[in-house]
Amino acid sequence: MFGGLREKLKAARERLGGSINAAAARAEPGGETIPADSAKPPVPAPKPDAAPGTAAAPAPEPSAPTLVQKMKTLIIDRELIVSEKDLDDALSELELTLLESDVALPATDAIISSVEKNLVGRHRKIGESVDHLVVHALKAALLDVLGQGFDLKAYIAKHERPVKILFTGVNGTGKTTTVAKIGSWLRKEGFTVVIGAGDTYRAGAIEQIAVHAERIGIRVIQHQEGADPSAVLFDTVDYAKAHKIDVVLADTAGRFHNKANLMSQLEKIKRVMKPDLVVYVDEAVAGNDAVTRAFEFDRTVGADAVVLTKADMDSRGGAAISIAHTIGKPLMFLGVGQAYDDIMPFDPATVVEELLEGGA
Amino acid sequence: MLDNLSSSLKDALKKLAGKTVVDRAAVDDLVKDLQRALISSDVNVKLVMELSKAIRTRSLEEEPPKGMNVREHVLRIVYQELVRLVWASTEVRLEPQIILMAGLQGSGKTTTTAKLARYFQKKGMKVGVICADTFRPGAFDQISTLCNKINVPCFGNPQEKDALKITREGLAALKEQELIIVDTQGRHALEADLIKEIIDLNVLTKATHRWLVIDAALGQQASEQARRFHEAIGIDGVIITKMDGTAKGGGAMSAVAETKSGIAFIGSGETIEDLERFDPDGFISRLLGMGDLKALVERANEAINPEDVDVNAMMKGKFTLRDMYKQIEALNKMGPLKQIMGMLPLGNMQLPEGVYDVTSTKMVRYRIIMDSMTSAELDEPSLINSSRMQRIAHGAGATPDEVRELIKYYKMMQRTLKGLRGGQGGGKFNMQRLMKRFSGMQ
Repeated sequence: MFGGLREKLKAARERLGGSINAAAARAEPGGETIPADSAKPPVPAPKPDAAPGTAAAPAPEPSAPTLVQKMKTLIIDRELIVSEKDLDDALSELELTLLESDVALPATDAIISSVEKNLVGRHRKIGESVDHLVVHALKAALLDVLGQGFDLKAYIAKHERPVKILFTGVNGTGKTTTVAKIGSWLRKEGFTVVIGAGDTYRAGAIEQIAVHAERIGIRVIQHQEGADPSAVLFDTVDYAKAHKIDVVLADTAGRFHNKANLMSQLEKIKRVMKPDLVVYVDEAVAGNDAVTRAFEFDRTVGADAVVLTKADMDSRGGAAISIAHTIGKPLMFLGVGQAYDDIMPFDPATVVEELLEGGA
Repeated sequence: MLDNLSSSLKDALKKLAGKTVVDRAAVDDLVKDLQRALISSDVNVKLVMELSKAIRTRSLEEEPPKGMNVREHVLRIVYQELVRLVWASTEVRLEPQIILMAGLQGSGKTTTTAKLARYFQKKGMKVGVICADTFRPGAFDQISTLCNKINVPCFGNPQEKDALKITREGLAALKEQELIIVDTQGRHALEADLIKEIIDLNVLTKATHRWLVIDAALGQQASEQARRFHEAIGIDGVIITKMDGTAKGGGAMSAVAETKSGIAFIGSGETIEDLERFDPDGFISRLLGMGDLKALVERANEAINPEDVDVNAMMKGKFTLRDMYKQIEALNKMGPLKQIMGMLPLGNMQLPEGVYDVTSTKMVRYRIIMDSMTSAELDEPSLINSSRMQRIAHGAGATPDEVRELIKYYKMMQRTLKGLRGGQGGGKFNMQRLMKRFSGMQ
């Protein structure tokens, strides 16, 4: 899904590299740019005492006055300082790129200022590759925002069974489908799973999860439509304890973070079933609102990990960055299609590496 | 965060306040903040750039209309440009038709289908629904449960995997109904098989309308997805769902721009009644995160019409009580001061809460007192001596002190106008300044 973002970042990176190179060119009044990619190693600096003589002596290069300056640059300014001005254009382009990739405004601002902080005022050795510098800054900024991944298998292994996982999120992000996919994934990893049909509100939701569960061979605990979701999920946990089941997956009805009653219902669910993990589910195609709602959900019921669905729709994946930036919680899985296997664990290091590969 | 944003937009607007000449730098600032506001409402970045360019050019090139200050002028342009984008309202006729629903997974097609059925049913039409979602488990249960609640026949078969077959049978089964809504499976533009399926469904049903359902939270993807759907089946209307959340619906706006269609409905709640026709003003205000722009623009237009305020007479130095009466009338037309202030997205006068009420009450009082004056007095206020003052006070149920205060106020206004004339060489009647005077009275 990050393909599009990758393309764009690459372009932005080149721009950034370009800006710095341009700055370097400006810093060298001789006009002869010192290649930043160190293809040509830095000219060995002449001894300082040789400088006074050069003005009179026939210069080895055609333009004598600039040569003096150039030497001075080489001797005194062996390092280039990247200034804010050099980066202005390139950074605003990077900003647009991120915004177009659905990275929300606050997250974009954070990344931009991180890259800027990293590059501005930095002493760059003449031999140091610009690309390296830029990639490093971007990588640091992205990793900083994305944080660590979340290893569900390791988590379950370390904790007392049953491990209770509560799924939350706004309407239509794909909670029910995600519960089914994670159930299927866990089964393949050798765990026993039970699902609690906690969405008792939406018509057809119980049928939906029941059909899914039947297909993947997982038991569902359900009450009828309109029942108290806390009760359903409490029963599910009870069932898991009685049958020594490893993992409880608790589905809930989608709800908007600005509906106080529904949010307090969710708080009640949390009090009653005492989940070990609260997983917040949102969609990769969400725009700036991803930030607002992730924040609100994290604030009211907390979130330990995030699942991003519909990542196959989106070739950019900015929402991942927005959400991670807002609540600072790790991304656990990506939903990438309609089949049960279309889910993959998320590893930020790999993703960032992939995003920026083929450069440094 | 968003609050910061709209307040920075307000700051930018504030810079324009009270200016009589459009200031390039201030407009640039405003446009920049506007861009940020729109982008953080998920409007497509390219669209934002085009929009802001148009706004900038128009703001700098067009003359502000008479009686409108620079800020109002720019705001008006912003408003007009935005409305132009969304205001191709989709016509919704109450006649036999077939509506095909399309959209991404989880955008709310099924819920919206039920809401639409309810909407048309309430308008007195015989409605039927076909469930052509053969993929998502529980889809038929969902729509049939919803339809049962409102007694709308719903055709579907959870065992059947062929959406075309179901639809064909459904059309036959529901041929008694005047209006048929076909709910489809969620799909996105990269799923070629599913896109083909919806093309076939469109051909099969010969749908009157093909409406694209868009989640208000959809981000930059909206344009691209809308474009592909449009290419496939020719979208002629957009329905924005989940507007009861905090999302701004900028994605839907981009989709509308992409499909050159209009916004047909807005879904804003979980019950079956929560469907509204689209209202561009509320939508745009929400998009920009500020007060009701349209109302302001309209009211300002209406209130300051040349007959109400005879600028020329005032400029000539003849400012009588009658003129002041008209001014107060004009202000009155714009509604209570407090409301006007609420509509101004800038709050350029930071007045304490109580002041509005007193000020507007006072204006009403003034008007009543002036109603007790004779024509001669209105035209020549210097006629008013203490005996006339007594009479006026009696007539208006006021005290002579109040009448005196009114005269004082009048004289102040007169001086102000003189000052304007002298100082700024043909300065215009300025609503801003007038309002400031009012607040100055307190």
